[in-house]
Amino acid sequence: MIVPKDDQYVLNQCTRYLARDAIERRHDFGQYDPGDPRAAICEAWRYPVIDSYFDGSSVDSSYGFNAVTFVYDGRSTPASEVAVVGSFAELYAPIQLRQVVFLGQPCGIWAITVRVPKGQVHYYRFLVDGAWGLDPVNPQTVVLDNGRQWSRFFTEACQVPLTFDRRQRELLSRLVSHLLPFRLPENSRFIRGEYEQLDRRSREDRFPLAYRLDEEVGVVNYIDKVLARAERHNADDYGTCLRIIDGVLRARFPGRDPVTLPPEAFAELYEQMATGPDGAVPGWDSGRYGRPKFFLLMLRRHAMTGAFVHPRHGGNSGTAGWVYLESRFRDSQNRTLFDWRAAIEAPLGLNTDYRG
Amino acid sequence: MGWQEMSEEHVEVVVVGSGAGAAPLSGTLVRAGHQVLMLEKGPLLRTQRQSPDGLSDFKRDELFATGAEKRLTVPGMVNVGESFYSSHVEPDLNDEPHVYRELDGTDRATIEGYTAQVVGGGTQLYGGVSLRFTPDDLRLASFNADRVDLVADPGGEVRREARDWPISYDELEPFYSEAERIVGISGTRAGQEKPASADHYQPPLEPNPISRFVAVGMDALGLVRYRTPLAVITRDHAPSGRVVPADHESIKTAFVNRYGDPLGLKSNVWVSVLAPIVDRPNFELRANCVVTHLEVDGARVSRVHYRDPAGNRRTVTAGTVVVACSAIESVRLLQLSGRLDPAFESRINDSGLLGRYFLTHCFGGASAVLPERADKSKSLDSDWATDHCARPDWIRENRLWAGGAIYNNTSDAALPISLARTWQAQDMDNIWKGYLSEAGIIGGGFEDYLDGNFGRRVSVSFMANQVPQRDNRIELHPTARDKWGRPVAYIIKDWHPHDQELMRILAEQCGQILRNAGDGVEFSGQGGVGGQVSRIANHVLGGARFGNVRTDSVLDRDCRAWQFDNLYVTDGAFMPTSGGANPTLTIQANSLRVGEILLARL
Repeated sequence: MIVPKDDQYVLNQCTRYLARDAIERRHDFGQYDPGDPRAAICEAWRYPVIDSYFDGSSVDSSYGFNAVTFVYDGRSTPASEVAVVGSFAELYAPIQLRQVVFLGQPCGIWAITVRVPKGQVHYYRFLVDGAWGLDPVNPQTVVLDNGRQWSRFFTEACQVPLTFDRRQRELLSRLVSHLLPFRLPENSRFIRGEYEQLDRRSREDRFPLAYRLDEEVGVVNYIDKVLARAERHNADDYGTCLRIIDGVLRARFPGRDPVTLPPEAFAELYEQMATGPDGAVPGWDSGRYGRPKFFLLMLRRHAMTGAFVHPRHGGNSGTAGWVYLESRFRDSQNRTLFDWRAAIEAPLGLNTDYRG
Repeated sequence: MGWQEMSEEHVEVVVVGSGAGAAPLSGTLVRAGHQVLMLEKGPLLRTQRQSPDGLSDFKRDELFATGAEKRLTVPGMVNVGESFYSSHVEPDLNDEPHVYRELDGTDRATIEGYTAQVVGGGTQLYGGVSLRFTPDDLRLASFNADRVDLVADPGGEVRREARDWPISYDELEPFYSEAERIVGISGTRAGQEKPASADHYQPPLEPNPISRFVAVGMDALGLVRYRTPLAVITRDHAPSGRVVPADHESIKTAFVNRYGDPLGLKSNVWVSVLAPIVDRPNFELRANCVVTHLEVDGARVSRVHYRDPAGNRRTVTAGTVVVACSAIESVRLLQLSGRLDPAFESRINDSGLLGRYFLTHCFGGASAVLPERADKSKSLDSDWATDHCARPDWIRENRLWAGGAIYNNTSDAALPISLARTWQAQDMDNIWKGYLSEAGIIGGGFEDYLDGNFGRRVSVSFMANQVPQRDNRIELHPTARDKWGRPVAYIIKDWHPHDQELMRILAEQCGQILRNAGDGVEFSGQGGVGGQVSRIANHVLGGARFGNVRTDSVLDRDCRAWQFDNLYVTDGAFMPTSGGANPTLTIQANSLRVGEILLARL
């Protein structure tokens, strides 16, 4: 389904990131292969642009969707026809991009906006004057079963694992749940109780795509998504450090699976990572990763963000982080001292003036 | 037919920038029927009501204020490899760095001092504090002429470098009133040390409960307080056609400072001044267009060179050119133009002062943890202000050359992620760093941290004049280039010993407010920004100061470049002293003043 967007909207999403003379690799923080031209583009991960969707009448009927804007930058190699083909459209039907106009003239940028449900992962390719190609800007790609490479995007509140495998997710879950307050027994009971209490409608509103609520309140999923897109350059650090941590814990507790170890085992590792000089974690292979403290800092930033971020980013599952604060902090009349629902858009929050 | 083959475009007035200095005069000219083309580097982000699809380009989402981690890669900078986090409308530091020379001589790229690149400029992201300057702020040379008592001024520089503005408060006053009317400001007037001919304030909303402690502290010290004027409408606003939600209190969301407002209730100059004229046939706003340089023909700027949204080179000729793209970038644009053409350079910089006397504010304050928690998520940026330290008697008693405003901050650290990322961070360059250095904020320690801080922190700030110094300056950096290959701005500045003393005294005043704020208030600390050169509260001022003496200024009293017939600079660059308050309202008022002057000339 095509969503009408004006050229101003598209240019607002393009100039800052794409327009430039420079070809220096100033936007390569380690995520690109040598020679990848994306290294000169600012925040190439923003494409396609994932934005809120509103059907013009009802927030309830709109909230389950995103408006996804595909942008094809044809400034250097002019095209006469550009289409996008992808798994989001029925039968992979090609959807024509339109030329974006500035001062009455096409400016070389092509775009189209389509409605896509939240929580999904899709694959697409551009068809430029009959020739198939990947999105030259979006760094997300995937090789499908048939061996062909496609560009990829995912919509908001996506719960599909994209960065970590099951084993990594389990270990990461243990690591971040130790960082956050939610594993404390009383909070853990509260979080579970909160979920159980909800009627089905409320559950669907607040947990549209989350199937479970656990001690890390969606933080692992948030990290999975931020590494798949905006902080792709940190993905290798996670992969390497999770392997090292797995090895360190296995060496310390022979015969035990690290994900089953008691919290104290993680607390000790933590303490060493946090306070010791770099390389002071016994058993840490600093040849593979020299700065365990740096990794811990990143993990803590991601954990804090993932716990309390707007759920569109894949964390704060079912707004559990916000509900925790809402419930914990109350005045003498038992009124909450974190009334997040007043500002946040319905149906997630209660604000009907702001649509999100 | 391609653009290059078309005849060159000509307009009556080109305005570079769309913020506090650019928009008000444009409104004046457009309503009088003049043709104005506005070129803005950033995007045109619309409110929910303005947007064709009913959705705002701004969101109540903490990641809009401070986004994903990026790493600095600009060659030659001492902070290469460090993480930085910018909002979606701040420039990317790797594409367009501002470089500060540190006291040890190293160069550091910083996000401090960048106003938002978006239609509306810095007024889209600011907290909205809309104070006037005092009459004495505009005549600090006269005020200090006979003084021999100033502290920390052994060489007499303060008195020597103080300047009167070429206009008086009385001349500016009608434009202050008009700015307050058209922008849309809520607050209270009684108790201010700033005379006003009219009161256009809308009523303020109920203060956040946390501000009660600040009121107690101010009262205990006998400081006359008033509700901080904020550029946030609380009632329907006829001049801009904006309407407020039925529940006025819902306007307080804490998504204020560093957030654009999806409902357009924060009175940025896009919603208040430009949107009402944007459909007029004699006005055109081109967003995503960066002006690269100006071309001179004799005493006139003849041509404006810019890049369109796709990066193509374009030009437009203009009868009059107004540059107002924030002080650092305006000065840089003039310097870049001079670099390309010695004739431009000799005209714009014949006094040798272009880029000199760059100013910011002496600022700082005090903070405390309160015994009671409040819901800070329902707040605007500030509730209470006092001009106690802007009074001439107080200034003289303290042997200072100038005073400043004091007000409390309500929306800082109000939301959970902002509490974490600004933990012990003194500015935007060290976002996340303070929190990350404290290892104990995990698990149970995390709960203690929330219990101790969430909804319980309050701060009181001061904003005061900085001593003008010739060597505080904006230059073009010798090696660092932006994404268009142009030299970036190089900021070289230091504090005067009198600034340090002034900050110490005002920080102590803020500290006293919190120490007297009642039982159970746990004082955290106080201080100013004197230890760092790059901390400037995003108040970038001076560098092209106006004056009555051609050899002592870059602009004349009309903000016209002395040796040009048709070039004006109307952002904060014009200020010869930085005033004892946040500068935006004064920039807006002066822009209206220059608009009136242009009306008589066009």
